[in-house]
Amino acid sequence: MQTRFLFPHRFKAIGLIMAIPSFIFMAFNLFADYNFPFLQYEHHGTGKIDFDRKFLFNLQSHNFTAEIVGIIVIIGLLLAAFSKEKHEDERIATLRMESILWAVYVNTLFLIFSIIFFYADVFLSILTYNICTTLILFIIRFNLVLYMDKRKLNTEPQ
Amino acid sequence: MKNTIRVERAILNITQAELAEKLDVSRQTIHAIENNIYIPSTILALKMAKLFKKPVEEIFMLERKD
Repeated sequence: MQTRFLFPHRFKAIGLIMAIPSFIFMAFNLFADYNFPFLQYEHHGTGKIDFDRKFLFNLQSHNFTAEIVGIIVIIGLLLAAFSKEKHEDERIATLRMESILWAVYVNTLFLIFSIIFFYADVFLSILTYNICTTLILFIIRFNLVLYMDKRKLNTEPQ
Repeated sequence: MKNTIRVERAILNITQAELAEKLDVSRQTIHAIENNIYIPSTILALKMAKLFKKPVEEIFMLERKD
């Protein structure tokens, strides 16, 4: 069966290489406030605009490390999640769909739990992590299913 | 749905891995079909029937709960 919208198999490794270091770096950025100086932007204009500083074209001063690293993490996770397996067949496509469903369910339950138990800035930071939790849950579940499948088979006779 | 793939495989005297290779699927898929964990697509079922030289109904049968 031809599965559409999947990247070639080699992108799985490329995705992981992109996602894991940048994910660790993102943690440094969030908790230790580490930024790349060359990504610092300062507005050098005559008149300073005082309204709506949160929009890209109105920014007065900002360091773009978090944004760039965040994009790399998301693209990396996407590649790692949606690349073809080495031996892609129809059952793997089914397992993939089941894992996506599972990941969305678990993520939704986690969100409901967070809405009830966490408030204000803690809730906002949970929402920030939520940008990539669905993909992470999916990658873990899908690869675990494939791994257990393979291991179960090796213990059985031909 | 149940199937007689294990029997057909014994008649041809081929392993799960060999059958998988002939059908261009993984051995896990053959294993899962034999153990009624996974229901194959129509394309795969027809390919199997062709390989075993039997009508599909003789390899795959509906069960009461289907």
